[in-house]
Amino acid sequence: MYKYDEIDRRFVNERVAEFRDQTRRFLAGELTEDEFRPLRLRNGLYIQTHAPMLRVAIPYGLLNTRQLRMLAHIARRYDRGYGHFSTRQNIQYNWPKLAEVPDILAELATVEMHAIQTSGNCIRNVTSDHLAGVAADELEDPRPWCELIRQWSTLHPEFNYLPRKFKIAVTGAPNDRAATAVHDIGLQLVRGADGGLGFEVLVGGGLGRMPIIGKRIRAWLPQQELLAYLEAILRVYNRYGRRDNIHRARIKVLVKSLGMEEFTRQVEAEYAANRALAPRVGAAAIARLRASFAPHPYQQLDEPDPTAGAAASFIAWYRHNTRAHKVRGYRVVFVSLKRHGEAPGDMTAAQMDALATLADLHSFGEVRVTHDQNLVLADVAQRDLRALHAALVPLGLATPNIGTLTDMICCPGLDFCSLANAGSIGIAKQIHAQFDDLDYLYDLGEIQVKMSGCMNACGHHHVGHIGILGVDKHGEEWYQITLGGSATGEVALGEVIGPSVPKLDVAATLERIVGVYLEQRDGEAETFLQVVRRIGIAPFKERAYAADTVAA
Amino acid sequence: MRQILWQREVRADCWRYPGEAGDGPLVQTLSELLADANRPPGAGTGVWLGPIDEVALLVPQLPQLALIVVNFEASGDGRGYSQGQLLRQRLGYQRELRAAGAIRRDHLFLLARCGFDAFDFAPGEDPRAALAGLDSYSVGYQPASGTLVQPRMRTPG
Ligand code: SF4
Repeated sequence: MYKYDEIDRRFVNERVAEFRDQTRRFLAGELTEDEFRPLRLRNGLYIQTHAPMLRVAIPYGLLNTRQLRMLAHIARRYDRGYGHFSTRQNIQYNWPKLAEVPDILAELATVEMHAIQTSGNCIRNVTSDHLAGVAADELEDPRPWCELIRQWSTLHPEFNYLPRKFKIAVTGAPNDRAATAVHDIGLQLVRGADGGLGFEVLVGGGLGRMPIIGKRIRAWLPQQELLAYLEAILRVYNRYGRRDNIHRARIKVLVKSLGMEEFTRQVEAEYAANRALAPRVGAAAIARLRASFAPHPYQQLDEPDPTAGAAASFIAWYRHNTRAHKVRGYRVVFVSLKRHGEAPGDMTAAQMDALATLADLHSFGEVRVTHDQNLVLADVAQRDLRALHAALVPLGLATPNIGTLTDMICCPGLDFCSLANAGSIGIAKQIHAQFDDLDYLYDLGEIQVKMSGCMNACGHHHVGHIGILGVDKHGEEWYQITLGGSATGEVALGEVIGPSVPKLDVAATLERIVGVYLEQRDGEAETFLQVVRRIGIAPFKERAYAADTVAA
Repeated sequence: MRQILWQREVRADCWRYPGEAGDGPLVQTLSELLADANRPPGAGTGVWLGPIDEVALLVPQLPQLALIVVNFEASGDGRGYSQGQLLRQRLGYQRELRAAGAIRRDHLFLLARCGFDAFDFAPGEDPRAALAGLDSYSVGYQPASGTLVQPRMRTPG
C-alpha cells in the first residue's frame, strides 16, 4: 500500500500542530463555537448527542495491521473500547474528549493516518471498490488514482470552503462496487477506442434528501487529464453552487438548475480555459503510485476443494463469507461485523488486535473496510481458510451472513447522532431476532437491507433492496420502507411502499415482504431484487400492511 | 486607522472602502468602476469585489488597478479563493490582492496559496499574532499561485 514520504509526514504533523493550537484557542475562549466549528469539522470532529464524535479517515478503505492496532489502541485509551466502521469506509469513535483529540491525531500521524476532511464542506475521503486489486473483472487497480485524488484534494487551496460536502468515488471494474453513481463525482476506469485506459466521469449523484443518480459528463477522459478535469468541475461548483440554503447546496442542485447541457458547457469551457495551468498527471508520478499498489508476492498454489470433509459451519462460512480471488489458490474473506446483538459496523479493540494478528498471518498484513460495514482480508491462501475460520469464530467475527438480509447497513441513528429522527441500532437487533434462522436466511438469498435514522441517508437506505428510513411522528419513532433500490450493477433508487410503520412492527413487516418474494420467485435463482423489478411494488405493498397493526 | 497585514508586515491602511468617509483614495465597487466604460480609470484605482462579482469583467481595467479587495462575507464562503486564483493565474493581476471580511489567522495559508498578499482581519484578530498563520504548513500537494508562502510541493507532474 501507499507509504508516506517526507512531504506527507511533515504535512500530517503540521496539521496536528495547527489543530492543537486551534483547540487551545477554543478552550481558552479565543475562538467562538461558530469560528471553531468549521475548523474542527475539517479534522473529523463533530459534537454529538453524548460527546464529541471523531471520524478518522481510512483512505479508500485500506488499512495495514499497524494502523488497525493503532485504531484499537485509540479505542482503548481514548474511547470506550470500540469503534464504528461507517458506510464511507471510515471509522468513528463516539466517546473521545475534546481536549484529547489533538493527542489522538498525533498518535494517528505516527502510523500515517489522519482525520482530515472527514467532515465539513470540503472534498471528503475518496472511496473505492473494496475488492480493488483482487477482483477478476477489474480493468485496472483504482487505488493509485484514489491516492492521487487523496493528495490533490488534501487542503486544496481553492476548494476547502465549498458550498457543501463533496464526495468522490472511483471504480476500476465494470461491476461497480463503489456506488459511483451516487457520488458528487463518480469515476469509472474504461478502455478507450485506442485501447488505452481513461475515465468515464459521472457528476451530481447523491443520496440524502434529494436522492439522484449521477449523470455522465464525460464518456472518455484521458488519465493524465484527471486532475485538470476535476479542477474544472470543482471550480464551477465552488463559484456557482448555492450557498444560501444548506439543502440546496450540493452539486446535484446546481446540475439540475443549470441543466446538464449548460452545466457541461461551463465545465468544458473552464477546462479548456485552464488547460495551460491545471495540473497534468505525469507518467512518472502515476508509475510511482502504481508501484505502491503492486500485487503481493503470491505463491503458486493448488486449489483443493476446501469444503471436502469440512464441518457444516465451515462450509456455510466458506459459501457466504468468501469470494473468488483473481489469483489461483487464494480467496477473499469477508469478516462480518453483523453479529446478532451488536450494532452493525461496531468492533471492539480486542477484535481489532486479534484481526491484525490474523491479517499478518494470512493476508499480507492488510485489511479493508467495505461500504457495507464489514472488513475484508483480501488475500488469503485457500489452504489457510480452515485455520482462519477456526480463529475468527471465537472472536465473533465469523457470522456466516454476508450478502444476506441480516448483513444490514445501519447508521448510528438516535443512539448517537444528534440529527436522528429515530433509532436504527435497535431495529437492526429486532431484525436479527426475527431472522435468526440461518437456513431461512440462505433460502432468501441476497437481500441488502439499508437503514438510516434520518433523511441525511448515511445508511444509504435509498439504494437498499429494502430501505428503512427513520421518521419522527409527533415524537415517536416510525419507519418508512422502500423497495427495489440498488447501489451496484444497475443503480436504482427504491420506491416508498406506503405509510411508515411503527417501531415494533418493522421486522414483522419485513417478514411479510419477503414472504411475497418467496411466493412469487421463479425458482431460487431469481433474487429478491429481480422479483421486485419484475412484479413491481404493488404486491409487496398489499401484504406489508396486512397485519392487525396497520399504520396510521 | 485600519491595521492590515500586507506582505508580511503590519501596516496602517490609507484606502477608503466603499461607504467610508475620510481622505484616502477610494475603493470603488465593481459596478461603480464599470459604470463609465468610456472613461478609463486613473492609475492607482482600487476595486471592491463581493462573492458574486465576476472577475473577468475587470479585464479592461486591470492594468490601472493598484488594489483589489475581495470581501469574504462569511468564513465558510469559499468563492473568494476562486476569485483570487483566477485573478492571479488566468488574468495575470500582479498588484495588491487583499482578503477582507471574515478573515482569521486560520485562513491565511490557503488564502496566500490562492494569491492573496494582504489581509484585513475580522474584528478581534490581532494582525501581528495572526502572521503565524501564514506558516502553518511548509508543504503542499497542489500547484497554486502566490509568492507569499512557498511550500515544498509534490505536484502530480
Ligand atoms: S442518517 Fe441521520 S441519523 Fe443516521 S447518522 Fe446520518 S445524520 Fe445521523
